[in-house]
Amino acid sequence: MMNLILGMDMGVFLAWIGTLLATVLCIVYGLYYQFIKKSEKKQQPESSKEEEKKQQGDH
Amino acid sequence: MDIWFFIITMALFAGVFIFLGYIGYRKTKTAEDYFVAGRTMGALLIAFSYGATFISAVALIGFSGIASVYGHSILWLAFLNVFVGIFIAFVFYGLRTRKMGLSLKAMTLPELLGNRFNSVKLQQISGLIIGVFMVAYTSAVFLAIASLFQVTFGIPYWICVVVFTLIVGVYLIFGGLYAVMYTHAVQAIVMLVGMIILTVGIYAMLGGIGPAHEAAAALTPEMLKSIGSPAATQAPNGLTSMPPFLSQPFMMVLTLIFGVGIGVLAQPQLITRYLTAKDDKALRRAIPYGGVFILLMTFTAFSIGPLCNVLMYQNNIPYPVKETAGVMVANPDAVVPTIINQLFPSWFILIFLFAILAAAMSTAAALFHTAGASLGRDVYEKSSKKKISPERSIFITRIATFVIVIATLIITLNPLDVVAYMTAFFFGLMACTFLAPYTLMLYWKKTNRFGVWVGMLGGFVFTMAWYILIYFKTAPKIIGSPLIGDYVINMLDPIFIGLPLSFLLTILFSLIRKQDKEEEALMKKSFENI
Repeated sequence: MMNLILGMDMGVFLAWIGTLLATVLCIVYGLYYQFIKKSEKKQQPESSKEEEKKQQGDH
Repeated sequence: MDIWFFIITMALFAGVFIFLGYIGYRKTKTAEDYFVAGRTMGALLIAFSYGATFISAVALIGFSGIASVYGHSILWLAFLNVFVGIFIAFVFYGLRTRKMGLSLKAMTLPELLGNRFNSVKLQQISGLIIGVFMVAYTSAVFLAIASLFQVTFGIPYWICVVVFTLIVGVYLIFGGLYAVMYTHAVQAIVMLVGMIILTVGIYAMLGGIGPAHEAAAALTPEMLKSIGSPAATQAPNGLTSMPPFLSQPFMMVLTLIFGVGIGVLAQPQLITRYLTAKDDKALRRAIPYGGVFILLMTFTAFSIGPLCNVLMYQNNIPYPVKETAGVMVANPDAVVPTIINQLFPSWFILIFLFAILAAAMSTAAALFHTAGASLGRDVYEKSSKKKISPERSIFITRIATFVIVIATLIITLNPLDVVAYMTAFFFGLMACTFLAPYTLMLYWKKTNRFGVWVGMLGGFVFTMAWYILIYFKTAPKIIGSPLIGDYVINMLDPIFIGLPLSFLLTILFSLIRKQDKEEEALMKKSFENI
């Protein structure tokens, strides 16, 4: 009988723990950009919404 | 279950969606509002909308059924769903797609390709591929959910199809992407509640995580055979172990994991979600919400599938079967519904059905919206020589979406084999057709129109040919027997060959011919904020 971790063999356990760790990575990434990394304000191109509004105003 | 209770609950459910559709309608003033929700969405709405679009009823019921056959090895797909489907997708695709979409004023994937490579034809052809295959895929979503409701409540199939399609059609056509995303938030919450109760309930019945998995591992092939479970032969090393390397079950799991796990990156309905973000921060903050949502959907669904075998064995419940061509065969799709019907209280049956309905409706609404935009904006509008006002653009897409809703309704009421094949093709086809041009467009400045055309069509033709001539699931039904009989080869998802081929073709043909001046100017413009 092979060794089981939480009732799973090594291949399945890696998938199981990998999924949880991938979720933790997502959470840490979000927290890092929310609280630690300073936001870089860059010049954004004008969205087509403003253009459309201008276009509607011209009519 | 009391049919009247169902009807009242269904009416309330529909009422909420129609109301949100009305709010969307009121907010929709410009084409950008209709197609990308005004590019004003925050993190939570993006995450819920992306997750609810990503996870369909098929993913919840179908894949947990598949897990009951192949065991917990399918958890590798849950890993890819979170790591590739959320983390890689948002960090490496989402952020650049949003910026490039803004620079090029693009609101759909075909428009992004067309504007980036200065080709209306490219936009039209990619729009046509997306629109046509999405109708088939949406039809399959409604077919699955209507069949489930027919079995559970005894409501005629056609009534389920008409009601579900019309509810989605109404709020979507009028409310545009605002309505789709608002309803997605509600649907995502319903899905979360359903899946959390289901998972906690099943693990609690089996004594917790460790004992539940140990009970699954202890099921021998003889025990599984006694309840008629196909896992007796398809999970040869046990339900909580990987199948033997290159065995038939291993190839089956491998093809599912990569076909769906990687294919997610090129799904046009998901790419649209990046374009709705109000800023980079919203996309980055959507990552944790999205990760947790997908974890609570796929990780739970794939974990409980194999455990259903334990519950069936302990409670003397036979593995569900269905009749196919006069023969009774195992029916994995019915595994979770059977367990819920037999072992859960009736109040939960209703919650679960609405969770599944929410999953189906959310995916269908996103598909309708993307298909409508593809055929209306990318194909029809671009074939017009006249300049089209934003109001007219919305009108055209509403008409295109209406046509698609009606076409889906007709197809779902009269299911054809060809629709089933097109649905089976969908994920792989989108990945092999669009992933290489889309990735290279975002990262490689030398990518040009010629390369994208060859890569896109090369991937498309190869994938169609693979599904029709070689792939073990589809080829026997279309041409009788696959051209290649060797199961290791014919069980490979086309993504294994089609995707590298499409990358190779795009790179090679981009190197052969240089960008013209207009293309070069557009390339510079598209990268100016990246």
